[in-house]
Amino acid sequence: MSITDSTRARASTSDQATPSLSHRRRQRRRAPGEAVAGYLFLSPWLAGLLFLTIGPMVASLYLSFTDYDLLTAPRWVGFDNFAQLFSDPRWIASVGVTLTYVLFSVPGVLIVSLAVALALNKGFRLLSAYRAAYYLPSLLGSSVAIAILWRQVFGDQGAVNAVLDRIGIHMGSWIGSPDTALYTLIVLNIWTFGATMIIFLAGLRQIPTEYYQAAAVDGAGKIRQFRSITLPMLTPLIFFNILLTTVNAFQAFTPAYVISEGTGGPANSTLFYTLYLYEQGFTRLEMGYASAMAWVLVVALGIGTALLFASARYWVFYGDER
Amino acid sequence: MSRATYTPATRTPPRAPRLRFGRTPVRSPLGRAVVRHAMLLTVIAIMLYPLFWMVGASFRPNNEVFTTLGIWPSNFTLDNYTEGWTSGQFSFSRYFLNSLVITGLSVVGNVVACMLAAYAFARLDFPFKRVLFAIMLGTLLLPYHVTLVPQYIMFSELQWINTILPLVIPKFLATDAFFIFLMVQFIRVLPREMDDAARIDGCGYWGIFRRIIVPLSLPAMGTVAMFTFIFTWNDFLGPLLYLSRPDMWTVAQGLNNFVDATGQSAFGPLLAMATLSIAPIVGFFLVTQRLLVEGIATSGLK
Amino acid sequence: MTRYIGRRRFLAGASITAAAVLVTAGCGGTSATGETGDGQDTHDGTGEVQGDIVFAWWGGGARNEVTNAVADLFEEANPDVSVSRESADWGDYWDRLNVQASGGNMPCVTQTQARQLNDFASRNLLLPLDPMVESGAIDVSTIPDDVLDSGRGPDGELYMVPYGAAYDALMVNQTLAEETGAGVPPDGYDWEYFFDWLAEAQDDLPDDVAAANVGGGRPNYLIAYVQAHGEEMFADGQIGFPRELLVDFWTEWEELRESGVTNTADQWAEEPSASEQSYVAQGAVMADVQPGNYLTPAQDTMDGQDTGQQLVTVPLPSGPAGSGNVLITSGFSIPASCDNVSTAAAFVDFWINDDEGAEVFSSSNGAVTNADHLQQQIDNPELPELKRHELEVYEQIVGMSPPVIIYPPGYQATFEAAFTRAYEEIAFGRKSIEQAVDDFFAEANAGLG
Repeated sequence: MSITDSTRARASTSDQATPSLSHRRRQRRRAPGEAVAGYLFLSPWLAGLLFLTIGPMVASLYLSFTDYDLLTAPRWVGFDNFAQLFSDPRWIASVGVTLTYVLFSVPGVLIVSLAVALALNKGFRLLSAYRAAYYLPSLLGSSVAIAILWRQVFGDQGAVNAVLDRIGIHMGSWIGSPDTALYTLIVLNIWTFGATMIIFLAGLRQIPTEYYQAAAVDGAGKIRQFRSITLPMLTPLIFFNILLTTVNAFQAFTPAYVISEGTGGPANSTLFYTLYLYEQGFTRLEMGYASAMAWVLVVALGIGTALLFASARYWVFYGDER
Repeated sequence: MSRATYTPATRTPPRAPRLRFGRTPVRSPLGRAVVRHAMLLTVIAIMLYPLFWMVGASFRPNNEVFTTLGIWPSNFTLDNYTEGWTSGQFSFSRYFLNSLVITGLSVVGNVVACMLAAYAFARLDFPFKRVLFAIMLGTLLLPYHVTLVPQYIMFSELQWINTILPLVIPKFLATDAFFIFLMVQFIRVLPREMDDAARIDGCGYWGIFRRIIVPLSLPAMGTVAMFTFIFTWNDFLGPLLYLSRPDMWTVAQGLNNFVDATGQSAFGPLLAMATLSIAPIVGFFLVTQRLLVEGIATSGLK
Repeated sequence: MTRYIGRRRFLAGASITAAAVLVTAGCGGTSATGETGDGQDTHDGTGEVQGDIVFAWWGGGARNEVTNAVADLFEEANPDVSVSRESADWGDYWDRLNVQASGGNMPCVTQTQARQLNDFASRNLLLPLDPMVESGAIDVSTIPDDVLDSGRGPDGELYMVPYGAAYDALMVNQTLAEETGAGVPPDGYDWEYFFDWLAEAQDDLPDDVAAANVGGGRPNYLIAYVQAHGEEMFADGQIGFPRELLVDFWTEWEELRESGVTNTADQWAEEPSASEQSYVAQGAVMADVQPGNYLTPAQDTMDGQDTGQQLVTVPLPSGPAGSGNVLITSGFSIPASCDNVSTAAAFVDFWINDDEGAEVFSSSNGAVTNADHLQQQIDNPELPELKRHELEVYEQIVGMSPPVIIYPPGYQATFEAAFTRAYEEIAFGRKSIEQAVDDFFAEANAGLG
């Protein structure tokens, strides 16, 4: 993962004075007792890793091959759950809904956040106030309160329709129609672009101004400068933001749950993968089936992530691998 | 970006824009700043309008909630707040108390556990360190779905359902790797000379951690605390799974139940409670926004 | 200067993670399973009445008040007993009960309803109550046999003692219906009359009021339609009625929706889920199917709008096979995991037979099933008019000897949910009626049983 390290950048003097971490390790021998101390400090996290992550993952893999309802012992069913998935119309619907959501909201978030970051990257006064105002929705986007607000804003008699009414367009409920309900959730996700924007902003501010000066001397215009300096320098962050926004989008739950009252309706149009997994696992107590769903998602996301990493070699520019 | 912003500077170095391209409507740097601010403000206004509308509507009589698009209530009333607060089987004081307890414990647990792990990763050397660090980064990308069901089964076997333990204990075990990562980034750049000095003074690893690292890491701990607060406060799926008794509900659950029970008829009280539910987040954000924003820039946390 | 963690180093880390996961996963799994009561025990319910029991029910404000009052009366009558109480709204109640069942700690006195009963009975979570009836621990002699039988599982055993009988009714905005000249449907009206009545009324209604809420997605209408046509809802744990019947049912509703007699599908999708806040209670539609015992709260909502409109309930339409109305009984079950069965049995007995308790509760959750208490309440001159109407419609429906439906396990989670969704697919133009019927039959039959 390529992650900006602005703290490190700020401390670049001391960084230059001392060799990098891995370099130093080779020089220094491990002190007596350091290994024990290391594991002691690490022990809460290790316990969590073992009991709350790896253990459950293994259990989930096992359960995905069973029929299990919490009440009676799991019954081994082989690949039945997986076979059933691919003929389950609701599962197929949930995959479609989730992919649509990801395919629209990830580019949406990236484009809007990059555009606003570019506009803000001028070093003028009030920058921090702007930044804060744009960032605020990111903190609220996953709350029940905002989901409720969204229901109102896009409802039959909501603010959006009230505005449209005044200019003579009459729409039904955006939330109540399967053709539009998902798009209100996509808008909600794009509304929370602030966090991504701040990462871009941090990256923009670290591009050395000499590059632009040199380009300007060579006669490169603003568009040209954007394409040949800004964009390449930002590719590690674009890569990082694609990764994060996508992973987050796959995990969205609260807005869809609140807006559809847990049904994923109308007509399965907001049936997020997570929502369907919740329904199978915790409303119907089909825990084996839900585990199979989870593992299909893990494998699919793993393949997607691997492809993204593989593609990175062709378009991501790494400053330290020149 | 509009044409106005970049066209004039097409062939000029950034600091000395020459204004010979007279076709563009805005010529002066001041004029361009005005246009830019106007655009930025318009976008902010559209983005924040729903929030302001919600706050305004919460002070409006219930029957005016739907009919008004403006923000300032003309007939100011607090009825929605008094009515909403006591609606339902338990009042919102109960939900706020529950949320506060869970959030408070989560913040403490997460800061302590992440700090411990981050110190080990940033400063100590031990076998398999790189493997473990890579695993930690890997868990950042792991969808939580895969642990959801088995964790639930495990907590149910432990008879932890309808206690706050399933929500709080994972925080004490630093399960959110983002926060460890953020702190590792921070501790790595703290000067090592102080560690060495403390070691010469006879401090062990714990002493260095407690006397040097912790005091120097307070800003990072503050960032982690704030994010943990906000995430836990907003969390809905966790309480939905583990807290089924209405007297244990968090604010998020109380709010969701409110909307199920009343629908559109009590929209005023509903919006009032929704406003209250995000008030702590907005409040903390206003106080600590510098810390938060820099925290994101540092780690990519969102 | 900007620095990044090298891509290569990260890739190496990611692949190690993946390898670690695969290796651990390859070691085979352990599972966390729980053995709960296997339900083979029986208990005749006699014994000492003392100690603690947990009592759980669903309901909102007013219901909670009267329920608590009855539990207080029981504690007064049995000073050695303390009753701890848990209540929740309808939807949350069942989710919570699932959780409690999985942990083997269902409340000793658990309120159940015929529609969900077999989700629990079929997993051997409930004690059969017949031995307690035989031993005299629970006296059910005042409950009519037809009503008592609604508490039986597919194996014929009694798993729930019904204390309140609700029914679905057609809730009509009487004021609007009379203004249009269509009036309230007469006794014994049938489905044909009902659909024509709606269409006729629509012509004279105000523009923003529809004659009916979209009805094709309401299982309650379907049940009445199926019964009235002499078919069975369920047979051998599967759907018991022919698919053509459902095609007819949905075709009728689609014609009404397309011709604007009902409101639109997206309005229907936005309707609040609580009955007292439904569109008919808000005056947004003229008629809809609603639980008969919601007449009073719905009228309260109506009164809150100051339109002066009056709501009334009538039985659902009849058909070639007679009345389509069925009773939905709520009652009490005792779980196999209960450690104080004798006290739980005493509580249930008290609830069914105590005069004062029945008066306090006053049929808050459907008409009281104890025939003596029912008569007392109807004879009580202080009974509010709407409540009297509710009880009278109940008597009217009981007089039609309604059939008892045994709902297979998974009814609510599978059948109802799939039914509503299948109709949504039609109403939003996603599927043809034929296609939706086929898909619904496949989905529901796979999930039932």
